[in-house]
Amino acid sequence: MARKRSTATRRAESEAATARAAAIRAEQERRERRRRSLVVTAVGVAVLTLVLVIGYLVQASRDDTGEAATGPRGAVGYALEVGPATAPATVTIVEDPMCPFCGDFENASRGWLSDYAAAGKVRVRFRVISFLDDTSNGTEYSTRAASALAVVLDSSGPRVAKRFHDLLFENQPPEGSDGLSDSRLTGLAVQAGATRSAVEKGIRGRSFESWVNNATDAGTKLEGYQGTPFVQLDGEPFTDYDSVDELSANLRSAVDAASG
Amino acid sequence: MPVGLVARLVVGGVWLVAGVLKLPDPAESVRAVRAYRLLPEAVVPAVGHLLPVLEVVVGLCLLLGLLTRVSATVSVLMLAAFVVGIASAWARGLSIDCGCFGGGASSTQDAASAYPWDIARDVGLLLLSAWLVWRPRTRWALDRRLLPQEA
Repeated sequence: MARKRSTATRRAESEAATARAAAIRAEQERRERRRRSLVVTAVGVAVLTLVLVIGYLVQASRDDTGEAATGPRGAVGYALEVGPATAPATVTIVEDPMCPFCGDFENASRGWLSDYAAAGKVRVRFRVISFLDDTSNGTEYSTRAASALAVVLDSSGPRVAKRFHDLLFENQPPEGSDGLSDSRLTGLAVQAGATRSAVEKGIRGRSFESWVNNATDAGTKLEGYQGTPFVQLDGEPFTDYDSVDELSANLRSAVDAASG
Repeated sequence: MPVGLVARLVVGGVWLVAGVLKLPDPAESVRAVRAYRLLPEAVVPAVGHLLPVLEVVVGLCLLLGLLTRVSATVSVLMLAAFVVGIASAWARGLSIDCGCFGGGASSTQDAASAYPWDIARDVGLLLLSAWLVWRPRTRWALDRRLLPQEA
């Protein structure tokens, strides 16, 4: 005969069972929440990864750097070359038409560099690049000016192109302005000695824009490049300076030493 | 004060602005990455093309409170990488624009004077991001609708 359990015992057992069931339910709910968190996160991460891949592909396709582009006749690599190949020293100058320090360096060095080149003491390679396009209120002055220089070189040869190059820096617009307009660039090209009809269309149409993009990419890849103006002497970075005036003066001494 | 919400809006806002400013000129962001001279040239274009997109996505996620913990973790990693990059450029005596908000490889001769500020800003953002990794549940977040509530 079963002993009759007390009401209190039965109540306690029942409560314990209820508590166990609640604990199991809570554990199940906890697992379910955890599973749901993981699934939502995984799906989210997968979707975002897809967005990243698509965005990456779009950005890569919008960058035409490195695609084959025809350069101007008369260019030496990406440079406008002045002075004889037999000169005892070769100076390479990487510069952006919008870069104020490049303008200062041009002002400091143009006179003696031109004289030295004419005397056969130095060969100068001007590599005009365009990385300051975002400082001309969206008119992309650096690219327009660099492409215009290539148009002038292509149509009118290095002598006219050198004069045009000098005019670009003598009339350099300040950073943050619209830069020189295409018609002003054409006017300067004509002033340098180009025929208007030979350059007008090319300057407005930025004929050598892709080549300029490649020139810019190549310029920034040069060993020691940190920004413009960047100068090489016989292929080695020339960094012996604290100001552009010092750069011009020290470069002159180094070229003097080379032509000894 | 809702620290988490403020952290989300500040860090997310900065990422969104930084990324959107870089999107228009992919060639420029490649040059900005190259200017640090840290990564091998083989991966420089890929990083330059991906980084602005990643910044925009992380920024939007943080602003919306979407996958906050994951986004904040990515944010911490990117900021740590930037701090290392800028400090390394500083230590090597490079004078480059950080390219943080577009630009980069700029012509400014005294670019190096900005390094301490760039680093201080990035460390601040890194701390806010770390807070979100620790406490990802914040007010007005999409996560509250998508992810189950804690018991």
